[in-house]
Amino acid sequence: MSHYAIEVQDLKKEFAIKKKNVSFWKRRKENKSFVAVNDISFNVNKGEIFGFLGPNGAGKTTTIKMISTLLRPTCGKILINGLDVQKNSMEILKNLGTVLAGERSIYWKLTGRENLKYFAAMNGITGKKAKEKIDYLLKRFSLDKRADETVEKYSTGMKQRIALAKALVADPPIVILDEPTSGLDPQSARNLREIILEFKEEGRTILLTTHYMEEADQLSDRIAIIDHGEIIALDTPKNLKRSLNKSNTITFELNRWNDVIEKELQQIKSIENINSYFDENNRKWEVKVQINNGNETINNLITTITNSNIKINNFKFEEPTLEDVFINLTGKSLRE
Amino acid sequence: MKWQKLKFYMTTIWAITIKDIKIFFRYPINAIFRIVEPIMWITPVYFLAKSFQIGGENIGFKLFSGTSDYMAFLIIGSIIASFVSAILWGMGFSLKNEMDSGVLESNWLTPVPLLVQMIGRSIFSVIITLINSLIVAFLVWLIFGFEIGNGIVSAVITLFPMLIALYGIGFGIASLVLITNNANNVIDITNYLLNSISGNRFPVEILPRVILAVSLALPLTYGFDSVRGILLETNTLLPLYQEQLILVLFMFVGTAIGYFILNKVEKYCKTIGNIGHY
Repeated sequence: MSHYAIEVQDLKKEFAIKKKNVSFWKRRKENKSFVAVNDISFNVNKGEIFGFLGPNGAGKTTTIKMISTLLRPTCGKILINGLDVQKNSMEILKNLGTVLAGERSIYWKLTGRENLKYFAAMNGITGKKAKEKIDYLLKRFSLDKRADETVEKYSTGMKQRIALAKALVADPPIVILDEPTSGLDPQSARNLREIILEFKEEGRTILLTTHYMEEADQLSDRIAIIDHGEIIALDTPKNLKRSLNKSNTITFELNRWNDVIEKELQQIKSIENINSYFDENNRKWEVKVQINNGNETINNLITTITNSNIKINNFKFEEPTLEDVFINLTGKSLRE
Repeated sequence: MKWQKLKFYMTTIWAITIKDIKIFFRYPINAIFRIVEPIMWITPVYFLAKSFQIGGENIGFKLFSGTSDYMAFLIIGSIIASFVSAILWGMGFSLKNEMDSGVLESNWLTPVPLLVQMIGRSIFSVIITLINSLIVAFLVWLIFGFEIGNGIVSAVITLFPMLIALYGIGFGIASLVLITNNANNVIDITNYLLNSISGNRFPVEILPRVILAVSLALPLTYGFDSVRGILLETNTLLPLYQEQLILVLFMFVGTAIGYFILNKVEKYCKTIGNIGHY
């Protein structure tokens, strides 16, 4: 039995593009190709949440589809629980629960319960066992009260929840989620993230793609950052951010500010930079202090400010984000 | 095949059929249209044929076919043709429907081979066609009147291998739908050509020689011909047992070719990645 839930080795996917060149005199076809995934390798440990972070078109969904048997790789190898995806696709599908992007992965003309019953049967679960499982899932995903309404009447969040329930109907040890919170309102997205964390607590392995850095950061044990079909970084969120060697920023909201206190603060060794700004509308000072030694300086800073009879209304501590990591690696923002 | 696997596949075929029944009845106008449509198509042809009658008999037609009961000839052709359509539409169009509604990938993510899924998708179509055909035949009998002999059981047994063979063609059609992403045109053209050239509404002997050669190469022609031969005692193209043998051979060859094409196209679609397109 393999130590890894998913092993991806030298995976590549190249799509042929037929481009027609039409002119009045001649018409010819040019065959070009587009490399969606270029020679990527990674392993997903059993029981971990592995995040795949990258902008749209980076190759996340293509990778997911190859792992879930929907797409044949141009070359490379994928093993799920030690089994080759190309040779044992039916066996592998019993171990995978996949939710692809978009809300149309279920029958809108069937009810939530009927959808689950259908997909349970398609996974060989019928009768009493299926009924118990479906009742449990409907309750777990808070769909039990509207289980007998057709899915077309559900909200986007409910559709996504029923798609998740569908993926869990066969109790798979590996769950693949492609952009699970895309298009959801903040509340539904937060609920869904909690559900994903519950999956992990149940011992499932989760492969998650997202272009929301906060989501990847919050959920993932490890993250692979993918761009232009290549993995450009792979580590824990903490290590990825640490690799930047970037200072942390503390932003204070103060009732007053002056040069004396600024000079006093500059005496503290680990402070790199201080920027102050007076917010005319809210009648308050906003002071950004960049420090290079993490949390140790915070106490010192607060004591110095309060000893000068300055009232701290609010303060926040900002670490480098995965967005910063992505910008550092690619020179562009995730949203570009 | 192990018993467990067979049981699983039967369960999935049943689940697909139940799902199709539920979806079908959530569009109630479908059910009504399925009964009205065949009568709508048959009526003008019937009256046209009637206008050619001399002394209440289609004499020219009788010379070709061996019967002057054009309505019985027509209704048998229509029923068989509706089964052809049911299988072709059942496989090809349901695939396109699932593509359009975005659930094709969800189905391909279940541990059920595509072949089994395709069979499942055509079952309801065949059941509804059977019920529909009986209702239509009854209504046509009431409105226009026709007579058939006592060989219904023999006719059904003769038709059986042809229907199985049509599943093979259905796999091929489904494959074309997967490649082209266009069900309506592919199925309409195939359905129209197959049914017309095989003589669903006329004796194939009247076809020009070149088209007749194509018609004789189509096993479906012998399906129409033999069933009419049994039920109406029409003149058959070949001795009845030879036509039945052709249909049995067609069953093996058709399903094998269809299965081969389906497997190839499944691989092709997974290579070009078009199954998620809708």
